[in-house]
Amino acid sequence: MQPILDSDMMSSWAPGVFSLVCFSTAVLVVVAVLLFISAWLGEKRPNPEKLRPYESGIIPTGTARLRYPVPFFLVAIFFLIFDVEGAYIFSWAAACESIGWAGWIQMSFFIIVLLLGLIYIWRKGGLEWGPEKH
Amino acid sequence: MGSGKTLAALEPLLRPADAVINWARSRSLWPMFFGLSCCFVEEATVITSRYDIARFGAEVFRPSPRQADLLIVSGTVFKKIAPVVLRLYEQMPEPKWVISMGSCSNTGGMYDVYSVVQGVNQILPVDVYIPGCPPRPEAVLHGLTLLQKKIEETERPSRSVFHLGGGRQGTQAPVLVDGVTKSRDPRGPGMTGTVIRGSSVTPPGFPESRSDLMWTPEPNRIVLGEQEKSLSETLSARFGSSVKTRPTTSDILTLDVDKEQIKPLLRYLKTESPVRFERLDDLTVIDESARRDPSSYPDFTLVYHLLAFDPATRVRIKVPLYGDIPFTETVTDIWPSADWYEREAFDMFGVRFEGHPNLTRILMPPDWEGHPLRKTHPGRATDMAPYTREDAATKQPLDGGFYIRQPEAGELILNVGPHHVSTHGLLRYILSLDGEEITRLKMEIGYHHRGVEKIGERQTWHQFIPYTDRVDYLAGAANNLPYVMAVEQLAGIRVPDRAQCIRVLLSELFRLSNHLVFVGTFAHDLGAMTPTFYCFREREMILDIVELITGGRLHPSWFRIGGTAADLPSGWKEKVDEFVRIFPGKIDEYEALITRNPIIRARTVGVGRISLADAKDWGVSGPNLRACGLAWDLRKQFPYSGYENYDFEVPTAVGGDCFDRYVVRIEEMRQSLSIIRQAAANMPEGRCVTDDYRYVVPKRADMLMDIESLIHHFVNVTRGPKIPGGEAYVCCEIPRGEQGYYVVSDGLGYAYRMRIRSPGFANVQVLPMMADGWSVSDLIAIIGSVDYILPDIDR
Repeated sequence: MQPILDSDMMSSWAPGVFSLVCFSTAVLVVVAVLLFISAWLGEKRPNPEKLRPYESGIIPTGTARLRYPVPFFLVAIFFLIFDVEGAYIFSWAAACESIGWAGWIQMSFFIIVLLLGLIYIWRKGGLEWGPEKH
Repeated sequence: MGSGKTLAALEPLLRPADAVINWARSRSLWPMFFGLSCCFVEEATVITSRYDIARFGAEVFRPSPRQADLLIVSGTVFKKIAPVVLRLYEQMPEPKWVISMGSCSNTGGMYDVYSVVQGVNQILPVDVYIPGCPPRPEAVLHGLTLLQKKIEETERPSRSVFHLGGGRQGTQAPVLVDGVTKSRDPRGPGMTGTVIRGSSVTPPGFPESRSDLMWTPEPNRIVLGEQEKSLSETLSARFGSSVKTRPTTSDILTLDVDKEQIKPLLRYLKTESPVRFERLDDLTVIDESARRDPSSYPDFTLVYHLLAFDPATRVRIKVPLYGDIPFTETVTDIWPSADWYEREAFDMFGVRFEGHPNLTRILMPPDWEGHPLRKTHPGRATDMAPYTREDAATKQPLDGGFYIRQPEAGELILNVGPHHVSTHGLLRYILSLDGEEITRLKMEIGYHHRGVEKIGERQTWHQFIPYTDRVDYLAGAANNLPYVMAVEQLAGIRVPDRAQCIRVLLSELFRLSNHLVFVGTFAHDLGAMTPTFYCFREREMILDIVELITGGRLHPSWFRIGGTAADLPSGWKEKVDEFVRIFPGKIDEYEALITRNPIIRARTVGVGRISLADAKDWGVSGPNLRACGLAWDLRKQFPYSGYENYDFEVPTAVGGDCFDRYVVRIEEMRQSLSIIRQAAANMPEGRCVTDDYRYVVPKRADMLMDIESLIHHFVNVTRGPKIPGGEAYVCCEIPRGEQGYYVVSDGLGYAYRMRIRSPGFANVQVLPMMADGWSVSDLIAIIGSVDYILPDIDR
């Protein structure tokens, strides 16, 4: 642990509990004030037409709570996979020098596995998008 | 909240708060991206660079009412769309303001007709009225600044904002009630009980019409060619006495056919006859009940216009129908395009077509009573009960489930339109979606039905010209041409060479102007914002030339029967030459931005394809037909107004997809420019209106000089000329395709029947075929590429 110097107390670069608490409090207060002001100043005059979903000026037909087709789900899953990959690569990049070649090899292995996964879903047609008929 | 004393103490604080809030609000008005008709084109022009509404803080046009606080009601408020307008207004958050833009929205304007609400203030409160038809873009800016001033000077929002009770903000004006707080009388208030002057000689009866006292020569007579004669002989040999050729005609071969023989005849003409009539050009009905001599007419006449591509020729087939509810057989199994035409005939005249798959109303609202184009139906909205806010709240458009019955499990029914940024006007698509793939697509039209065919039966032959401008509000003077040519054809009026050349010049300028809007909006639909601004920049140059020549922008109403309204002004040639010099470089610029853009190619190549056979069968015309590979252009096939003297190509493409429809139009701009160059270089000298003043408005100089011209001027301007009884159908290649006017005269100062064959009606009917199986985003590209416009579809 490093000693906390007075001059560093509110620095955002030096780690410290006090500055974290101050910052969190400030964030909470600002968000709360903004939410309150917009809720209070924003005049709410609901009526049945205003609360109805907007659909090009026509009263909508049926429900919007449908069972969505699979492609949307697949896209969401693929996004998650490759998004998580990003999170690992960034943290490895930040610590790249200290973990050295061993880290590099492990990371390469990780990326290659994901690349194989990408090639697999590509070959399987998981990235095909658009109307089936055409 | 607190006692009166504290409130009084707060008052000095509230004043500055009012000022701050008003300042902020008035300088950040967010208009809704909402347009009804022609006026919206000028409203949209305000966004572009020359007028730049961003200077007033109002450039953030919002597609959804949720995000907008200003509703600019731009254009005609139709009875069918009024419930939607009211809903959009109700769905806007508060405070909100309303600007009524243009004569139609203000008072109904020139559309005192059964389908139009006579002023939006009968259903919504209005803050500012902008007069004009359409108002210029500067007028929109003026209206906006007036609204800003109104907000700053009269509104006290802070009491409401701080929950103190009271205060004043948003629209405070009352909704008006006809007969109580407003008068729909076109002459203004205080005239109740006095009959409108001239109304005794308007439909359905024309008692003591002075036109009866006027003499005219016989209508124009043409001599049929060898080909028509041999066709006529072949038909009488095959069908005997049930098919009779009219001995005289003003324009094309005309056949009278019995109801029983019509289907065999049409099938023969389409598939077996020596000349194959592959397209059903038009199908309509005439209500004969108000003829001057009813004994020689049936109750109704069904009229087919057919077109043959090779050799290029037309034929008219007339079928007499009898009874109050006349019926005949459907021809949808011969031409699928007859679907909408027959529905229209049913809707407008009450003619039944046996065997039609879906014989329901198409233009009028589902709960409409009567058939508007029957002579017994009132023509003017002011002759009918006023449209009220209660009507707007109750007469809802039909539910989407009515169009898409029993959707598959998991399919979503989605309404795109009538108010939608990408539908290019008031057209409603009802989609059944599996994910984002379109499994079924239905359309509902009629939201923009301005009853112009009915108006044609009450305006004199000259008075009707301004209405033709507004049939396709982006094609301006090009719209006048088929109408004036049809009347000239019927009456045998010769147009001087100079007038013909001026007509060509104007028509081609408007073709460019229309295609520029197409290119801009098409790219915009595909997500490219920039081309719109470039295209509208050059469009303003064209409108400047148009304004110099005609004095108008969108609606010049400048062609006249027998010529044009005036001669070209001095300085026109320099302006045209300058434009012709710089425009080719601009087209290259658009091509660099759009044609070679890989995203646009990926979105459009192969998308929304339609085959040439389908396009012919469904009556598709104009650039959409040429994109399928057929070099068919009326300017080449049936040259009119001197087009045979110009050297130009007919651009075509082969694929019939969205990209081809775009490319054809780009190439057409180059060809149009070449025609403009030739017209300007070879402008003949001479008169701009015929010197036979029987039917035309004489030149003013002559009118001031001799008594003959003065008399003609007086009669033709006030009572209107009498056009000899007969009929003529003339089609022109306007920017969007083939627009035809079928004028029927009963020898009076008004048309007996004014039928408009519009390109959009046929072009849009094929949209479900183009869009089937594509995704929603592809639908937007397809809509943009078809380039339709609503008054042209709904008329």
